[in-house]
Amino acid sequence: MAERERGQPIERPKISSKPPELPRSKPIPPPGYRSAPTPAQNPRRVRGGQRLKRKDGETAASWITQRLERVAEQGASGEAWREGMEYARLGQTRRFEIDPGVIVASVQGRMPRAYTTRLEVDVFDAQQRDRIIGSMVEQSRFAAKILAGELPTNIDDLFAPLGLRFMPVEPGDISPRCTCKEQDKPWCKHAVCALILAADHFGRHPLELFRWRGLPEGELSERLRELRALSGQGPGAAPVYEPFVAGVSDAEVSPLDASSADFWEAGHELRSVDLPIDRPTTTHVLLRRLGPSPFPEARFPLVGLLATCYELIGEDAAAGVDDGGPDDEGPESLAGSA
Amino acid sequence: MADVIQDAGVPGLSRADTLVVHANWSTRRLHLWCESSGAFGGALGDAGDEGHGVERAHPFAADAGDVAAALGLPGSSRSAITLRLPTVDDRPIPSAALTHWVGRPDVHADVAFASYAVPTVEVGPEDAERLLESLIERVEADGADTLKIGSTVEFFAVAARLARHLLARQRFVPMVLQAGDGGLTASWRPWLADEESASRTAVLLRAMPPAARAVDDDLGHDPAKVLESYLGELVDAACRAVLDREEMTDTIEDIDPAGDPQVAWLTGLLDGTDEVPAQSSIRTDFVRRVRRWIGGLEDRGESSTWRLGLRLNEPLAEALEDQREGDLATDDDADWSVSFFLQSQANPDIAVDGSDVWLLSRETVVVEGLTLESPQELLLAELGRASRYYKRLEDALDEAEPIEVMLDTKQAYEFLREVRPVLLEQGFAVESPAWWDSPTGRLGARLRIGSDPLEALLEAGGAGSTASPAQLGLGALVGYHWEIAIGDTTLTLHEFEQFAQKSSPLVRIGGKWVEIRPEDVQNAIRFIRENPGGQMELSEAMRLAYASDPKKTGVPVLGMEASGWVAEVFGAGGESAAISLPALETPESFHGTLRPYQNRGLSWLAFMEQFGFGACLADDMGLGKTIQVLALLAHEREDAARARRAGETDPAKTSVAPTLLIVPMSVVGNWTREIRRFTPSLRTVVHHGVERAMGDAFVDEVGDADIVITTYALANRDKELLQRVDWGRVVLDEAQFIKNPAAKQSQAVRSLEVERRVALTGTPVENRLSELWSIMDFLNPAYLGGSGVFRKRFSVPIERYRDQNKMAQLRGLVRPFILRRVKTDPTVVADLPEKIEGKELCHLTSEQAALYENCVKRMLSDVEASDGIHRRGLVLAGLIRLKQICNHPSQMLKDHDFASGQPVDPARSGKCVRLLEMLDEALAEGDQALVFTQFRQMGHLLAAMLRHELNRDVLFLHGGTPQGQRQKLIDRFQDEGARNPILILSLKAGGVGLNLTAATHVFHFDRWWNPAVENQATDRAYRIGQTRTVQVHKYVVRGTLEERIDEMIESKTELAENIIGAGERWLTELDTSQLRSLLALRADAIGDEE
Repeated sequence: MAERERGQPIERPKISSKPPELPRSKPIPPPGYRSAPTPAQNPRRVRGGQRLKRKDGETAASWITQRLERVAEQGASGEAWREGMEYARLGQTRRFEIDPGVIVASVQGRMPRAYTTRLEVDVFDAQQRDRIIGSMVEQSRFAAKILAGELPTNIDDLFAPLGLRFMPVEPGDISPRCTCKEQDKPWCKHAVCALILAADHFGRHPLELFRWRGLPEGELSERLRELRALSGQGPGAAPVYEPFVAGVSDAEVSPLDASSADFWEAGHELRSVDLPIDRPTTTHVLLRRLGPSPFPEARFPLVGLLATCYELIGEDAAAGVDDGGPDDEGPESLAGSA
Repeated sequence: MADVIQDAGVPGLSRADTLVVHANWSTRRLHLWCESSGAFGGALGDAGDEGHGVERAHPFAADAGDVAAALGLPGSSRSAITLRLPTVDDRPIPSAALTHWVGRPDVHADVAFASYAVPTVEVGPEDAERLLESLIERVEADGADTLKIGSTVEFFAVAARLARHLLARQRFVPMVLQAGDGGLTASWRPWLADEESASRTAVLLRAMPPAARAVDDDLGHDPAKVLESYLGELVDAACRAVLDREEMTDTIEDIDPAGDPQVAWLTGLLDGTDEVPAQSSIRTDFVRRVRRWIGGLEDRGESSTWRLGLRLNEPLAEALEDQREGDLATDDDADWSVSFFLQSQANPDIAVDGSDVWLLSRETVVVEGLTLESPQELLLAELGRASRYYKRLEDALDEAEPIEVMLDTKQAYEFLREVRPVLLEQGFAVESPAWWDSPTGRLGARLRIGSDPLEALLEAGGAGSTASPAQLGLGALVGYHWEIAIGDTTLTLHEFEQFAQKSSPLVRIGGKWVEIRPEDVQNAIRFIRENPGGQMELSEAMRLAYASDPKKTGVPVLGMEASGWVAEVFGAGGESAAISLPALETPESFHGTLRPYQNRGLSWLAFMEQFGFGACLADDMGLGKTIQVLALLAHEREDAARARRAGETDPAKTSVAPTLLIVPMSVVGNWTREIRRFTPSLRTVVHHGVERAMGDAFVDEVGDADIVITTYALANRDKELLQRVDWGRVVLDEAQFIKNPAAKQSQAVRSLEVERRVALTGTPVENRLSELWSIMDFLNPAYLGGSGVFRKRFSVPIERYRDQNKMAQLRGLVRPFILRRVKTDPTVVADLPEKIEGKELCHLTSEQAALYENCVKRMLSDVEASDGIHRRGLVLAGLIRLKQICNHPSQMLKDHDFASGQPVDPARSGKCVRLLEMLDEALAEGDQALVFTQFRQMGHLLAAMLRHELNRDVLFLHGGTPQGQRQKLIDRFQDEGARNPILILSLKAGGVGLNLTAATHVFHFDRWWNPAVENQATDRAYRIGQTRTVQVHKYVVRGTLEERIDEMIESKTELAENIIGAGERWLTELDTSQLRSLLALRADAIGDEE
C-alpha cells in the first residue's frame, strides 16, 4: 500500500478464486405485476446471517479490530457508520469471504436484492513475500509469535524497513466497492458493515490478515517453519516417528491465558513423583523389541553397536548419582574391612 | 538472640534485594531469569511503552548481568526471551515467591495477559541438570533471603531428573528427523510410550506451572511440547556426551556412509554434528524403514480387544517327586512349558486357553459376552508376532494346532529373565509362577547378632550407670556372623556351594523353585569366606544390616537377626522397642497423671538411656513431650533415693547429676511453668539474662540443681562455662534448632561431653533429612557418618530422586532411636481429650521492654496528676498501649509501612517468634490454625509477617471484611486448607456464625481477659463436625500485666469475677500504687541476653 499514491483508483487483476456470486434467493414477483422493487421501511431480515456479537458501547477486545474499525469510522459519514454498525449487529450479511486482495460480502439492505460489497487491498507480490518471510525469520520473536497464532502489535516495525505497510491505517488503504447506488460515497453502510465484520473476524483470527494481503496462513507458517529449521532457530525438523504417550499426547491443553490463578505454582505432584536412578532389571529391552536392523541387506552390525551405546549411556546416567568414590568414608568402608 | 533466630530460618535483619530465579525452555536452551524485589519497588507506576521490540520490557526483571552474578555464572551467555504473563493494572503479577517480599496484588482485579521481554542467562541442554541442581542446592543450603527459587526452576530440575531416570533405565531410542526441505538429522530421543515412563511424564505434565510454558515461541505455550522438547534435548545431549567421550565414532570411521545407510544414520548419532549424510535418492526409503522399525515398538497386534498370553508352567510335581531333592541333573532337565491363551484386553479375567481355541469354531465365537472373531487365525497371527521377540515360538508354529512349547530349566530361566519383560512391554500377557520376582525368594546375606541376655546385664550393671561403654550403647561390642539365606530359609555353606555347580539359576529348595544367579553364588561364597564373623561395634552392625551397598558387598544384605539385649532394645527386626517395653510406674513426685502413651514415652526414654543410646522424642505438638521429660527426671531421682534407702554406697547410683536443658528463648517461660506445675521438687536454675551466675558461682549454683535451663545462644556464648559441669544429661528442646551443623551453637551443643542425650522435636524429623542428620549426630555421634557422606548416600537420592530403597535403609537405621507419635495414631487418639488448652509464656525483647517501662512510667505520672473521667481515660489508653507493646512494637509505634513491601520483623516481638515456631510445626504436621487477636492493626501485621515468613497464603478476617467476602474466606479456609492453612481473625467471634472446624489449633495471640469470650472464639474450631483434638494456645507475656491479670483470673477469686464481668473498667478504679504493682515489669520478662 505504501507503494501507491493514496486515493488513486486501484487497478489490479482479480485474484479471487471465486467470483462474487449473486444472492441465491431472489424474490419472485407476483404474476402480471412488474415494477421497480420498493425499499422496505427497515432492512429485510436475514436468517443465519453473519452477526457482530459485541454489544453497543462495548470496546473491541483486540487491537486489530479497533484499528480496522477506526479506518472505516474515519472514511464513512456518521450516518453510514451508525447504520453499518446496526447492519452488522442485526446480521444482515449473507455471505462473507476473505480472499487474497479482496473481502467479498453480500449485505442485505431494504431492497429485496442484497448488495455485493468488496473491500479491496494491495497484495504482496512473490518477491515481497520472500522478503517479508526472510525478515520474520531473522527477527525470531516475530516468527515465534506468528507461529503461535498471534499478531504482534508492532507488526509494522517489521514491514517498515522493507518499504511496506501491513495494517491499514487510513480509509484510503482499503478500497470499498459496493453494488448499491451510493457510488459517490465509497464507504457506504454496506461497506462499513462488511469491514466491521472483517475487523471482528481478524481480531479473532489475526493471521487471516495475511491471507487478505496475499500470503495465506498455510504458506506463511510452512515457509516460516522451513526457514527456521534451516537456520536452526526452532525445532523445524520433526522425528519420523512420534509415538502416542498416554496422558501426554492426549493431555488437554488449557490456554495459557486461562491460567492466571495458579500461574506461578507447580502442582503438588511434582514433589511426589519417584524417579529412581537405577539400572534396568533386564538390559536392552527396547533394543530387543526393535529387533533386527531395518536394513537387513547392509553389513554393518547396527544393533550390536547400538547395544554398546545403550550400555555406556545407561551406565553413565546411573553412575552419575551413585554413592561411593574415594571420598566415601561411609558405612561400607567398615564393611569391607570386616 | 539474633543468631538464634537466624538459625531457625527466621529472617529478620536482612533487607537486601531478593531475586527470585525462574527458568524457561526455548530455542533448545534453558533460560534463567530473575524477578527483583528491589526493581519491583522502583518500577511502581512505570508502565510506559518501551518503544522498540515486539513487547515491553519486564518492569522488575533483573538485568542479565545481575542474573549471571547471582547465579555464579559470570561467563555465561546472555539472551532474552518474550514471556506472556498475567497482569493486573498493566503490570505483571509477581510470582508466588516474590509476593512474599513485595506483597500480593488484589487478586480480584481483572487479570489480562501481555508479553514482556525478559533478559536471561542461557545454558545448553548439556548443562541444564547440573546448573539447576547446584542452584537448588545452594539456595537450600544457604537459606539466605537474597536468592529464592521459583516453581519453574523446581519443575525443570525434576524434569531433568526424569531425563536421567530414563537414561539410566535405557528408555531411549535412536531417531531420524526430517526437515521441511527433506534433509535428515539423527538424534537420541526419550521413549516415553511405555506405561511407566508415560505415567511419570504425565504426572510432570500435570504439575507443570503455567509459567514454565509462558515463552512466546514456536512451542506455542503447549505444555506437552515444552516438556517433550526439553526431555528430548537433554537426553540427546547426555547420550552424545557419553558417546563422544567414549570415542564411539571410531567404530565407523573407515566406512563410507554412502555404501551403508546404517552408517549414515550412525554418523548422525555418534558424531558431534547430527547430520545424516544420506543421498536424497534414498531418503524416502530410509525414512520409511526407520519409521516402520521404531513404529514396531507400538505394534499391538491385529486385535484391539484380544491379545496373546503366554504362561510358563512349572514341571509337574509328580514328575519330580521320585527324584532326590537337590539332584542337580534332574532339576536341570525338568520339563517346563510355555502354553498359550487369548486374553481380553479390557478384562484380564476373561481368557480362552490355546487348547480350547482349536476346539472352537473357526468363525466368530462369543466368550462371556465378548466377541472373538476367527480365534484360530488370531492365535496363529499373534504367535507369529510374538516369535519375533522369542525365537523358540517358531517351533510351535511348525505345528498345525500349536498349544505349547517345551523348555528345560535353563530355557525356562531365560524366558523369565530375558523374554518376559520384552513380551510384556510389547503388549502380550505373560503369566509366571508366583515365586518369580517375589521378595521372599531373594538370595542374600543375613547378619546374625549375638549379645548378652538382658537379665544378665541388668544384674551386673543395675541402672546402667555403671556399665562400661564397651558393654552398652552403639559402641558396644557384639558377636556376629553372616548367614546365607533365601527368604526365611538359611543355608549352610556346603548346601550353598552345591548350587555353584549347576548350569541353571533355577533351583529347588524345600520343594520350591528359587532363582539363584551363578554370580550371586560366587559373590556370596566369597563374602562369607571374607567375613567369617567375630565381634564388631553395634553401630557398625546396624549400618551393615540396614545400609549396605550391594555393589560393595556383592550380595544383597537381608537385614539382621539379633538375640540378647540388642533384640530387646531394637526388637528382633530392628523396630523401636517402645511398644513392647514394660511400663514404669508414674513417679510419685510427679504431680499429675501421665496418659498411657506418655507413660510409654517415659519408659522408652529410660530404657534407651539405660542402654546408652541417645533418644529422640518426636511426638506431635501438644502430646506433652515436656512432661515426659520431667517425669524421666523425677523417675531417676526416685530411683537414686530408693538406692540410698537400700544402703547402696556407690555414688553413681545414689546421686543424680543435673540435667542441662537447652531451649529456644521463646519457651523458657513454658518450661519453668511446667516444672512448677508438675515437678515442683526439681531444683531449677534458669541460666540466662545479664545477671546470670558466671564462673565458680555458676558451678556452685548448678551443683545443687536438678535442672539447668539455658538457651541455644548461651550454649554457645557460655560454652566453656557449661563444659566445666559434669552433666547427667543434655536435653535439646526444639532440637531442629541445630539443623545447621556449621552454626556455632550447633557445634557448641555437640561439643558437650555428656553420656545421656535426649532430643525433643515436634517436626516430622524423618522427612527433613538435614535436621535428621544433625539430631542423630548429636544423639549418637558418628552413627550416620559425616554430613557430606550422609548427603551423598541419603539426602541426594531421597530428596532428589525419591529413592524408596534408600529411604527404607535410612528408616531402618534411625527408627530405633526415634519415638514419634502423631495425634492421629489410634493408640494416642484414645488417650487424648477433645480439647487441650495451654498457655504459652512468652518473653519481651529488649526493645519491647524499654517501650513497656517507658509507657508505664509516663502513664503513672500522668495518672497521678489527674482524676475522674480523665484519669480513667488515661488508664485505659495506657493499658491498650501496653498490650500493643506486648504484641509487637510496630503495633504501638505504627512504624510499619505496608506499602513499602518490607516484611514485618518478627524478631522484635517474643510472641511473634513463638507464634512462628509453633505455626511452623503445626503446618509441618499438615494442620490448620486460627489466630485470634483483638486488634485489627495487629491482624494486618501478623498477616504480612506470616505470609513472608511461612511462604504461605494467609487469610485475614476482620470487622471490616464485607459479609460476602467473609463466607468466601471461610470457604477457602475450610475447603482449600492445604493452600490456606492459616486464618487470622480480629473480631469478637460471638456474633458470627462461623464454622471453622478445619482448624485443629487455636491461637489467642492477645487476651480478652474474659474466658467466656475466648471460649466462644475457640468454639469456632471445637464444635459439631470437629473430629480431631483441638489445641488451644493462649499467649501470655511473662512478667507483664498480661501474666498478672492471667494469674488473677486463674485464682478464681472475687476479684477474678469482677475482672471478667467488667472488662477492663475495674483497672481504672485502682489507685496509683496498685496500678504500679500491677503494671511494673518483672525482671524475668526480658528475653534478650545482651
